[in-house]
Amino acid sequence: MSDKVLVAMSGGVDSSVALLKVIEAGYDAIGVTMKLWEYKDVGGNIIDDSNCCSVSSINNAKLVCDRLNIPHYTLDFTENFRENVVENFASEYLNGRTPNPCVRCNSFVKWDTFIKEAKKLNAKYIATGHYARIIKSNNSYVLKKGFDKNKDQSYVLWGIPKETLQKTILPLGELTKKEVRKIANINNFETANIPESMEICFVADNNYKRFLKDYKPNEMSKVGKGNIIDQGGDIIGEHSGYTNYTVGQRKGLNLSKEKPHYVTKIDSNKNNIFVGEKVALLDDSCKVSNVNWLVKDINFPCNIESQIRYNSKVISSKIIIRKGEYEVHFSEPQLAITPGQSIVFYKEDIVLGGGIIEKIIKS
Amino acid sequence: MKRIYCDISATTPIDMEVANLMHDLQKTIFGNPSSIHREGQAAKVLIEKARRQIATSLTCNPEEIIFTSSGTEANNMILKGVLKSGDHLITSTYEHPAITEVIPYLKENGIEVSLIAPNNGGLIEPGQVLRNIKKNTRLISIMFVNNELGVINPIEDIASIANNNSILIHSDAVQAFGKIPINLDQIPLDFISISSHKLYGPKGAGALFKRQGTKIAPMIYGGGQESNLRASTENFIGIAGFGLASEIAFSNLKINSKKISSLENLFTSELDKQKINYKINGIKRIPGVFNITFNKLDGQQLVLNLDMCGIGISFGAACASGTTKVPEFLIKLGLTKKEALSSVRISFGKIHSEKDVITVAKEIGKIINKNEEK
Repeated sequence: MSDKVLVAMSGGVDSSVALLKVIEAGYDAIGVTMKLWEYKDVGGNIIDDSNCCSVSSINNAKLVCDRLNIPHYTLDFTENFRENVVENFASEYLNGRTPNPCVRCNSFVKWDTFIKEAKKLNAKYIATGHYARIIKSNNSYVLKKGFDKNKDQSYVLWGIPKETLQKTILPLGELTKKEVRKIANINNFETANIPESMEICFVADNNYKRFLKDYKPNEMSKVGKGNIIDQGGDIIGEHSGYTNYTVGQRKGLNLSKEKPHYVTKIDSNKNNIFVGEKVALLDDSCKVSNVNWLVKDINFPCNIESQIRYNSKVISSKIIIRKGEYEVHFSEPQLAITPGQSIVFYKEDIVLGGGIIEKIIKS
Repeated sequence: MKRIYCDISATTPIDMEVANLMHDLQKTIFGNPSSIHREGQAAKVLIEKARRQIATSLTCNPEEIIFTSSGTEANNMILKGVLKSGDHLITSTYEHPAITEVIPYLKENGIEVSLIAPNNGGLIEPGQVLRNIKKNTRLISIMFVNNELGVINPIEDIASIANNNSILIHSDAVQAFGKIPINLDQIPLDFISISSHKLYGPKGAGALFKRQGTKIAPMIYGGGQESNLRASTENFIGIAGFGLASEIAFSNLKINSKKISSLENLFTSELDKQKINYKINGIKRIPGVFNITFNKLDGQQLVLNLDMCGIGISFGAACASGTTKVPEFLIKLGLTKKEALSSVRISFGKIHSEKDVITVAKEIGKIINKNEEK
C-alpha cells in the first residue's frame, strides 16, 4: 500500500493542483479543509464570498476531491484559530503594531494541527499548495524559495516547526502560478479560475478597521482621537484613532505640510502618532522576537540576507545576539521597518529562519 | 470497496420498491394535481393515496396530513404558524436545529421561550414541562425521539399535561416515524412533523400532522394547495414515494424492530468480545440508534478512519459545511468535554446484516488498537 498524504485544501487553485501532484506521485491522498473561522464571530459577511473557510470554498475543495476520487473532510479548528490568530491580530493592532496573521496561522495552527491530524489518519506526510520547496540534503531537510519569483511564499513559512519539514510535501515549488492555472484548466478543476485572494481570510471584506470594531467593540470604543507629533516633538495635527494607522503610512494624515509626511511610530499607550519626512522612516537595525530556526548550527554573529515584508527585496544583514536578544543590522538603512511584521532570514534561496520585528533600534 | 452505511439517523437509502414506483410514475404521470382534466386527476390521486397511507401509519384522518418539503419545513410551519407576539413556547435544549434555530426569529417577534434540558438519561421529564408552564404558554414542542441519542421521550405524558392545561402540543417525530409505533388515536398530540427520507423514502417530502380543529397560519401563500396551508404545485412523485415508504415501514414495524434490536445486541457483544471500553449514552432508546463513547479515541478520528475503510458513521450533528464541533447535547447530559469528543453516533437499520455489524465492531477494534500503539 502506498503512503498516505493529507493534503490541505483551501478550495483554491493552488491546493487543487497540489492534490493532483500528490496523486500523480503515487501517494494515497486525503483532502482536508480546515474550517478556521465563521462570519458570526468575525463579521464582515459579503454576499459573493470566495474566501477560504466559507462554505463555497469547502464545496469547491469537495468537488475537486470527488473529481480525483479521493475522500475529503472538513475539520473544525475555529477555536484554535481564534485563540492563536484572530485574538493576536486584534491585540497587535491595539498595541499599535501591524500583525501578519498568515504567518501566525502557519506557525501556530496549520502545520502542527495538520501533522497531528495526519497521524490520526495514519498519513505519513502532509502537503500544501505553497510556492516553496523542501529539499533533502545531507540527511536533513531545508526549506527553499519557490521557482516562481513572483509567487514565492517561503516568506510566510519561516515559523513552521523545523521537525515538520521532513513530513511536508510542497508539490508546487517548482511550478509557476501560470503553469498551475494551466494544469487546473486542463483538468477542468472547478477551482481553475478562482481569483487570487490577497486579503486576510477572516477579514473577508478587506476592512480591518470594521473587523476591529466588530471583534473588540469595548476596546475599540476607547480608541479615540489623539495627537500627531512631528520629529521635533510638536503637535501638528489630530489623528482619528491609532489603530487606523500603520508605520510608513502617508495617506489619511491630513497634514498641511510642504513635504509629504509618514507615520514613523505608533504609541498606543499615549494614543500618539509620530510622523516625519521620508528620511525619518529610515533605520538600519531592529530587535527580533519569536525567532524560529529551520537550519541547525548557526553561529553568531552571522551574515545573512533578510526580508522585512512580503514581496520585498532581500537585504544583506548581520544577526547578532545582545543581552539574549536577537538584533538584525542591515547593510543599508531600510524604509518603514514595521513592528509586528515578519523578518525572514535567507542564505541564497534557503530559508534559515525568521522572527517578528519587535522594535526599531534608534541609532 | 463495499461500503457499510451506518448513519440511518442522518438519512436512509431509498427502498428499491419505492424507487421503482417513483421511476415508473415519473415517466407516466405529469399533470398538475390542481388541473381539472384526467392528467391532473392522475397526479392528484397519487397525493391522496399517499395521504391515506401515512394517515393509516399514524392512526389519524387523512385530512389531518399536510404535505411539506421536509420535516424542517413542518417544524417551521408549526412554530411560526401557531405562535404570536406575547405567547410563550416551551421546548427543549436538544431539539433539532429545525426548532432551535427558529427561536431567535420567534424572540425577535415578541415570543417568550423556555428551554428544558434533558435529564442524565437524556430524557425530558414531564414534571419539568409542567413547572415551566405560564399563563401565556401557547405551545409545547418536544421531540419524540432525539436524533443524536435515539432516546424516546415520554411524549404521551407531556401531551396529557399540555391537554390538561389547554396548551397546544407539537412533537418533532422525524426520528420516530417508521421506527416505533405512533398512535395518534391514543397520544393526544396536536401536531407532529415527519419526514420521508428517514424511512427509506425519497428526499424532498415531509408532512405535518395537524389535528382537526386546530388552527395555524400558512408560511407559503399561493395556489391554495394542501387545504390552503402550503401553496406550491405538489411534489407528487416524492409524496407517492413517501406514502409507499410509510406503508412498508408500518407493515414491517415489528419485524424490523426485532431484527435491529438483535443487530444492536450482536454489535455490543462483539465489542465486549474484543474487550473494548465503551459507554452508550442515554436510556430508553429506539433500536439500533445509539450514541457511544469510546474513551481512548477522539470521535472525529474514528469517523474519518472508519470512512476510509468503507464504513459511514457520524460525529455530532452535521452542518452545511460538514464540519463537527463539540456536541453540546452531550455536555448537557453531564459528559466531560473529552468524553463528548470521544463519542460517535452509530445507527443500524433494516439494511444491515449480522455480517455488517460484526465487520463494523471489528474495524472499530482495529482502529482503537492501532491508536493505542502510537
